[in-house]
Amino acid sequence: MAVKKDETASFVLRFTQKIYKDKDGESNVQWRGKVSHVQGGDEIRFSEFEEVSNFIQTKLADLTVQAIEGKTPEEQKGILSKSFDLWKKMAFETPKMVMDTIKDPKKQVAQIQNQISQVSDVVTQKLEEQLGQKLEIDEWRAASKNDYAMMMEQMAAMTKAIEGLNKKVDKLGKKK
Amino acid sequence: MKSPSQQFTDLLKHQADAELKVQTLGAFQVIRGEEAIKAKEWGRDKTLQLFQFLVTARHRRGLHKEQIVDRIWEDIAGKSIDQTFKVALHGVNKALEPNRKGRSEAKFILRQGLTYQLDTSKVWVDVQAVEDFIEIGNLSIADDKILAQKAYREAVNLYEGIYLPERLYEDWSSEQREHIQVLILGAIVALGELLIEENPMESIRLSQKALIIDKAWEDAYRVQMAAYLSKGNRPMAIKTYKKCVKVLEEEFGIEPLPETQKLFAEIKLK
Repeated sequence: MAVKKDETASFVLRFTQKIYKDKDGESNVQWRGKVSHVQGGDEIRFSEFEEVSNFIQTKLADLTVQAIEGKTPEEQKGILSKSFDLWKKMAFETPKMVMDTIKDPKKQVAQIQNQISQVSDVVTQKLEEQLGQKLEIDEWRAASKNDYAMMMEQMAAMTKAIEGLNKKVDKLGKKK
Repeated sequence: MKSPSQQFTDLLKHQADAELKVQTLGAFQVIRGEEAIKAKEWGRDKTLQLFQFLVTARHRRGLHKEQIVDRIWEDIAGKSIDQTFKVALHGVNKALEPNRKGRSEAKFILRQGLTYQLDTSKVWVDVQAVEDFIEIGNLSIADDKILAQKAYREAVNLYEGIYLPERLYEDWSSEQREHIQVLILGAIVALGELLIEENPMESIRLSQKALIIDKAWEDAYRVQMAAYLSKGNRPMAIKTYKKCVKVLEEEFGIEPLPETQKLFAEIKLK
């Protein structure tokens, strides 16, 4: 079976929570888990989040190295440096996010839902203003890559048309 | 709402009556009527991928063809989307219903506008049955231990291995694979616990099955220790604990839980 090689690295992260009382009768929680790299099939078990971070970093670095095989040493250095910068940021933020979620899962989910809802409300309101009618959200579906490309094309065309109109308005203004 | 007992009966009936039966655990196979669909009937791998994806996405309400293509074949875009999807869908419908008349509606793949989904009322899928049996087991374990045992047993028997092993490296299949593996580990341990007094040998077999799936699943070691103890085999119970200590140290760098250590202390005293 050939291992799939593309531009995607997916990871499945499993956490198992063990709550127990120690010898002094005090309640404790222990996290243990497993992280798997989907495209490569490798996996490790962990009890410290740093191990996950190292595992993912290695797999992402492999992916970047594979992708820049044909490039010049200067280009390779630049791309690798950018890739590590991005990873450093993610490696710092992700454990914090996971810890926050563990401490207060409901609050985290509520915050994310709230953010999605806020963005969705603003977008819906703007669209309804433009269209002059109410939108039936149930008829929406998640945008695919192709939808996204189509939207970008249409937005580029609209921008160009607006630029043209602006020029015409400017000309008319000057004539007056 | 149906009782767990009624749900159990309905599930077995669905398995017996469904015109199409899909095996995804351990190996992939589709039984059409009485016969398995042969590999050559699927034709291209894309046909098979599309069907397996629809099985995986069976909980979702209809998916748009572009969403489907985007998830399975991320390198296909633009005009190729329609063509690729059309050919693959034709292949799926032909494999599932070789005698279907042209222009008639497909029986198993529902189409609503531009969205597609598997009709789970006509198709029995093993991974779905495993989930449903485990749910029945969990619902009835407090009030009806006999039903819980039966339901867990059905689930354990259906679990013949990982989900779609030939798609191990495909992103879209990994969530289902992980989900069902965690569920079945819980079910095996629960069934093993239920049988410790009545049939310790079966508890031992079940715990071994769990440890083949995940060698660091501590609950399974505990079931095995208790079952050996129930059988009067103290040396094997001690050996199981030592194996547990070794594996947890190697895999996580941790000791067994106090619960496991306490059981070990009890075994030593016997």
